[in-house]
Amino acid sequence: MNGIHDLGGMDGLGPVIREDNEPVFHEEWERRMFALFISAFAGGHFNVDMFRHAIEKMDPVHYLESSYYEHWLAAIEDILIADGSITKAELEARMADLAKEAA
Amino acid sequence: MSHDHDHGSSMSDTALRVKALESLLSEKGLVDTEAMDELVETYEHKVGPRNGAEVVAKAWTDPAYKDRLLGDATAAIAELGYSGVQGEDMVVVENTPDVHNIVVCTLCSCYPWPTLGLPPVWYKSAPYRSRVVRDPRGVLEEFGVSLPAGKQVRVWDSNAELRYLVLPERPAGTEDMSEEELAGLVTRDSMIGTAVVERPAG
Amino acid sequence: MPLTKDMVPGLVATGASARVDADVAPKVKPGDTISVRNINPVGHTRLPRYIRGKKGTVDRDHGVFVWPDTAAHGQGETPQRVYSVYFTAQELWGSDYPDNDRLYIDLWDNYIDPA
Repeated sequence: MNGIHDLGGMDGLGPVIREDNEPVFHEEWERRMFALFISAFAGGHFNVDMFRHAIEKMDPVHYLESSYYEHWLAAIEDILIADGSITKAELEARMADLAKEAA
Repeated sequence: MSHDHDHGSSMSDTALRVKALESLLSEKGLVDTEAMDELVETYEHKVGPRNGAEVVAKAWTDPAYKDRLLGDATAAIAELGYSGVQGEDMVVVENTPDVHNIVVCTLCSCYPWPTLGLPPVWYKSAPYRSRVVRDPRGVLEEFGVSLPAGKQVRVWDSNAELRYLVLPERPAGTEDMSEEELAGLVTRDSMIGTAVVERPAG
Repeated sequence: MPLTKDMVPGLVATGASARVDADVAPKVKPGDTISVRNINPVGHTRLPRYIRGKKGTVDRDHGVFVWPDTAAHGQGETPQRVYSVYFTAQELWGSDYPDNDRLYIDLWDNYIDPA
């Protein structure tokens, strides 16, 4: 698909910003997201091409504004909801529960 | 897309979603939390650019190894114990006085994990992915690398399942250094192609 | 069954190669000139826009791999060869660009035609 992910040759996306002594992960949730992806992949929920396509189908504005691991989150959610592993309602309910616990 | 849901907690919406996802999948027996911990430990502490630096230093000091590396990179890298996820099919491209190589993945963020670890944020960013295929010399200037006009730049867009590692040029003045000392000079960026390996100071 | 802790080292060290053990005759060989198909699939593809319709030279034959365009949609592996192909910067971006610089990209049989 001619999506937002196909960036080669585009202008206007700004300078390349580097970080000295960059850590492997910046946030705890990135660690969990990384491991969730590998685990779900190993569990046979998708192949790498399905996963990449799920990222490509993201809302283009969200794609550009979000980070790499947020792309992974969007793709995993999309795939696991589509294959019936979880429902959107379940996920929202669990988020609400966890938010209450953390409050 | 806004992340303005108010869950009344200090966690970001993203962090909360990931936590909820892990909690649900773990409860359903689809993921194992201990396996996840082990994956994080592996990629945060065991896999990284020191692996690639070891490959480069060996290629600099052992011509037969270098031949094997340029001929069948996957097998040669496996000789040093590095293989697997996102390095299943490797290609090593050699910098020379006439050629400078630089690697990108314009469509996503493909990167050789076994030799370099997980990619830095800039490698995955829209600015790098969009610009380096068209203006590699401009991007290299920003990284502090100025190439003579006569040197050929080869950009490698790793759009398929081959993963690319740059074999940088060995700096002059390092003839007496051991393989281990040489590995200490090799940076992550020099193996992506956004840097050259500097001669040690002094 | 989920991935368990004891399976992690094996998974990490082995991965999952997209190489396919299938006998597919090469369509082109190193040194050949090819043209990239100008196609605009609405599904998944690994053929970026900036390369479509351009002429390049085959550098090497990587062997036979899964084709993402079908694999992403549960339509099978469609095994075919992948070649490293280079394009001059001027072919891709026009005469203002350095005449000696190149871009290399990996292209499946279904993305190219012999020129």
